[in-house]
Parts: sequence; structure tokens; C-alpha cells
Amino acid sequence: MLQVLASKLDSHLLTSLNACVRCGLCAESCVYYQASGDERMIPARKVELLGSIYKYYYRPQARLLPVISGARAINGRTVTEMIDLFFGACTGCGRCEPHCSIGVAIAHVNAVGRAMLSEAGLTPASLQSTVNAALETGNNMAIPTDEFVDTIRWMEEEMQDEISDTRARIPLDETDVNVLYTLNPREPKFFPLSISAMAKVFYAAGESWTLSTRMYDVTNYAFFSNHAAESRLIAERLRDEVFHLRAKTLVLAECGHGSRAFRWEAPNYLGHALPFETLTSVELIHRYITQKRIRLDGKRLKERITLHDPCNLVRSGGIIQEQRDIIHRIAEDFEEMTPHGADNLCCGGGGGQLAMSEYNERRLKIGELKADQIRKTGASIVITPCHNCVDQLSQLNFTYKLGVRIMTLAELVADALIFDQ
Amino acid sequence: MAGLAYQLLRIVRSGLPADHSQAAGKQRPAIRYAMTGAMNPVKKESAFRHWPTYIAGVVYHLGTFLAIGLYFIILAGIETGRVAAFVLAGALLLSSLAGFGILLKRMIKPALRHLSIADDYISNLLVSLFQLCTGLMLAGAGIEFIYYMIVSILCVYLPLGKLRHCILFFAARYHLARFYGHRGVWPPRSAAMTGND
Ligand code: SF4
Ligand code: SF4
Repeated sequence: MLQVLASKLDSHLLTSLNACVRCGLCAESCVYYQASGDERMIPARKVELLGSIYKYYYRPQARLLPVISGARAINGRTVTEMIDLFFGACTGCGRCEPHCSIGVAIAHVNAVGRAMLSEAGLTPASLQSTVNAALETGNNMAIPTDEFVDTIRWMEEEMQDEISDTRARIPLDETDVNVLYTLNPREPKFFPLSISAMAKVFYAAGESWTLSTRMYDVTNYAFFSNHAAESRLIAERLRDEVFHLRAKTLVLAECGHGSRAFRWEAPNYLGHALPFETLTSVELIHRYITQKRIRLDGKRLKERITLHDPCNLVRSGGIIQEQRDIIHRIAEDFEEMTPHGADNLCCGGGGGQLAMSEYNERRLKIGELKADQIRKTGASIVITPCHNCVDQLSQLNFTYKLGVRIMTLAELVADALIFDQ
Repeated sequence: MAGLAYQLLRIVRSGLPADHSQAAGKQRPAIRYAMTGAMNPVKKESAFRHWPTYIAGVVYHLGTFLAIGLYFIILAGIETGRVAAFVLAGALLLSSLAGFGILLKRMIKPALRHLSIADDYISNLLVSLFQLCTGLMLAGAGIEFIYYMIVSILCVYLPLGKLRHCILFFAARYHLARFYGHRGVWPPRSAAMTGND
């Protein structure tokens, strides 16, 4: 664990571990503290926990006077606390950071804490099994290739029937295309209609694109455990598939963490810049609209609609306006949540929480804040460009009886497409 | 001062994290924003959800800067004039009260007590006393010994505990700006990019 800490002690981490003044003013910015009122969940506690370990091993004067400095050694007690706080009480949403009176990189500290634990084999079993599934089978849901191909063919037939055009295809493993598109394995497993939704967008745009049967998984659950070798291996596979199919652009499906893990973190996992363009599907759809490659039936949706911003796409990815521009083209009655955009509240499913059944109760509890936000908008449709968020929001919809429809952005756009015959 | 300089040097020498991802924005405007717009109290929950603490904190920090400036004036034996001395002493009394108020809050509010370590109480107490003693010195109280004692303890303690945030604050904001600037989040380009209106 200490080796991992040592390897990550650059000026960013050193600053973060030493700059917190424990004013406690970040407490209400965190969904965990807001939902529970539990002082252990204050963002600064997570910083202080790793900070106290840092002081013990790196600041001799602090180690000499632990009563004053709070320095703590790594032992059974600290490790239990680390697992509970770093994995079980933080989604890494980063909302606390801009609100912190200093600007401490709290989510970054939390991620380093997770890296220390994962290297020591202390990742919660449920999360690790999802990572293992991806490592062993190539996708986090361990979907066999023939099952995946069958689903794609089925979706292709449905789409061709719907559009009445046999040229509407879902290509597999084609080379020298413009776009290699990825999927969240939840799509082929549970929500295949979102695959055909994006396929319709590609068809309408006249795009040259493909899916891969070897590596289509946009997720990287090792990003959550922050395990260096595992997150690198998953990123490597996706990079290599772009090379293998000689695609020009990699398009990341609607998945907050998957987009972040590849667009922003993978170049650092791999140690080099990516030699191809990487876009999220939100940016691509936005581009198609502004380039007039697709046409939409403007303002066709009369129902009130609201938008949930995935933290990783928005606060840690800078994609904030694009989804709003798209929705404004389609929906007449769009109501923002308060707060929203770069200041949004996490739905509670981020940070791998959906994969960690150990913390289900907490996850649904913190999600109540999002449920209240949705209710206050009076919307009947919630759009979110992230399949993990869709999962959490669906559970909130059921638990808190919201009576809303949850849709991805591609589904919204696909329903509004005007096809040139 | 040497202790503080050493800490700063250590942080600088530990190096910036490499980022191989393609930038979506620029860092300079983000750094400017981090020091200006992002500090706007109506946008920061640490301020607008805690107005009394925020205002007390601002007064307390202004008092610290004032007391540091006055320390050099006192040391140099420069006369401030009677009226100015009383005005400055009044301001320092107010700011030290703000400091003691924050200390009291730390002692009685359970969540804050849970978060606190001894360093927090010591730092807060030392700085509040420093301001109070500076004010008393200006008002003509003969407390030279106590005053210089507090200043000496403060100087020794400065590089050891959380008072180091006087430099780390800028380092933290720089890193935050680096992150958000690179990813195109700061400075905000539309209302949705702040999102708490
Ligand atoms: S607001 Fe920032 S400085 Fe204050 S306790 Fe929270 S993390 Fe620490
Ligand atoms: S990153 Fe999000 S979940 Fe984690 S401490 Fe900060 S606000 Fe809370």
C-alpha cells in the first residue's frame, strides 16, 4: 500500500493531502453527508484519513506528536475505515472540490486511497468480480460472443423492418471505417433497443461505422478500483481494437465513467497520447446535428423533460452544453434540475456503487436527493447520457415511486429522426 | 519562513503529474477563473450555505494580514498615530473575535469536533491571540513580552501545522484549475457550466 502511495506523491497529491483546513464547509456539498448527516461521510474526513497515513510515514515531526497531528499508521482499524470511506462513502463525483473553501482535490485523494487498497487485494469482492469478468471475457457482463452477435442481428432485423430499408445495418468487425462504436454491456444484455437507437442515428447520418465483437465494452471498472495494471489492460484492449480495425475515430457510448476512463484517463494509463480521435456519442450526435447530417423533428416532444448529468461526463469531462442543445431541438418543455450541469448532484450510482452490493442501502439512500430533484421538476421523462445512471435512476424510480420514463440521449434522438427515403 | 519555503520547494520538486490526454481547454484562463469567479461566494456552497462562518472567516483572514503588516511596523518602531492606532486596534479586536468565534464553533459543533485534530485548535487559538495581542500593543498595553512570545511560537508552528495553507491554498487552486482547465470545464462557457443558479 505504501508503495502505491509513494508512487503517487506528486505535487497534486502532496498539495491535496496538506491543504485541507478541516473547516467542514464541504459537508453539505456531498450527497453522502446530505443524505445521512453522518459526520464520517464529510468529504474532508476522506482527505484526513489518507492525510493522517501520509503524515505518519512521511512527516517525522507529525509521527512524533500524533496527538497534535493526527498521524496514524496503517493497521486493521485504518484499513477497515479506508475500505468503508474510500469505496463505500464516495462516488468520486468531485462535487465537493469546487465548493471546498480551499479547492482540495478530494475525489483524487479518494481515488488514491482506492488504488492503495486495490493493490493490496482489498477491493470489495463484488466490484472486483466485475473487473475480473471484463479481464477474463472481454466484457464486464461476461456475455458470450455468439449471444452478442445474435442480439445484434436481431436488433438489425428489427431496425430494417422499422425503417423499411435493408441497407440499415449494424456492421460487425468491419475494417477501415470512420467510426468504431462501443457499447455498455448492459445494452446487449438488458437494453438492446438503445443499440438500434444509435444504429438509426448512424444510418441517418450515412456514417461508415462498425461494432467490434472482440472488444465493444466501453466500461472500465478497474477505473473505479483504480488498479493500475488492470485499468491499463482494459484500456489497451480498446486501443488495440481501434488499430486492428483501422478505424479513424473511436466513439464512446453513453457511459459516464467509460467515457472518462478512456477519453481522459487511458492516455495516462498507457503513458502516451492516443493517435486517433476519441469522441463521446453525445459529442458525435451534436456534431451530426450542427453539420446537418441528421434532421430532427423539432419540438416534437410535448411532455416535460428533464436531464440528469453524469458526473464523469460533465464535471470531469466538460461535456455540458452539447446534451442541452440536442434536447432543446427536440423537446418543447425542458426543465433543468437544481442544481444541474457542472454542479449537478450525483445520482448515487457512480464510483462503482452499482457494482458494490455491499453498499446498496447507502446507494439508494443518497439517491433520494436525486429523486427529490426529479420530482421537483415535474418532468415525466428523464434523459441521461449514461447507462449506469439509467440503472440507478430506474431503481430510484421504483423505490421512490417517481412514475417517470428514463431514456438515453440516443433513444430520444432516434425517436425524433427524420429519415430521407 | 525557511520552513515554509522548504515545504513549498518540496511540493514543487515533487513534479506535476503528466497528462497525456488531449486538452479540451486552456489552463491560463482556468487559473484566472480559479482565483476570481470560482471564488464568488454566491457560487460556492462553502460560502452561501454558511454566511456567518464565511463572513467571520473573511474578517479573520483580513485581520491576520493586517496583524502581519503591523508586526513589521511595530518591529521597526514606526509610530502609527493615536487615531489610526485605535482604529486598527478596534479592527483587530473584531477580527480576533471572529477567530475566537470560529474556534468556539469548532468546539461545540459535533460534526466539526469529529473532524478536528489538535492542530486545528492550536492554529486557530495562536492566530486569534496574535491578532488580539497586536491590537492591544497598538492600544498601548504593555504586553511586549507576551506579544513577542506569541509571534515566536507562531513562527515556529507555521511550517508544522495547517497554517501552511497560506501557501497551499494557491497550490490547491492551481491544481484544481489545471484539472478543470484541461478538461474544458473552467472557465464556464455557459450557464449550465455553473449550474447552481
Ligand atoms: S471545505 Fe475543503 S478545506 Fe474545508 S474541510 Fe472541506 S476539504 Fe477541507
Ligand atoms: S467526490 Fe462526491 S461523493 Fe466523494 S466526497 Fe466529494 S462530494 Fe462526496
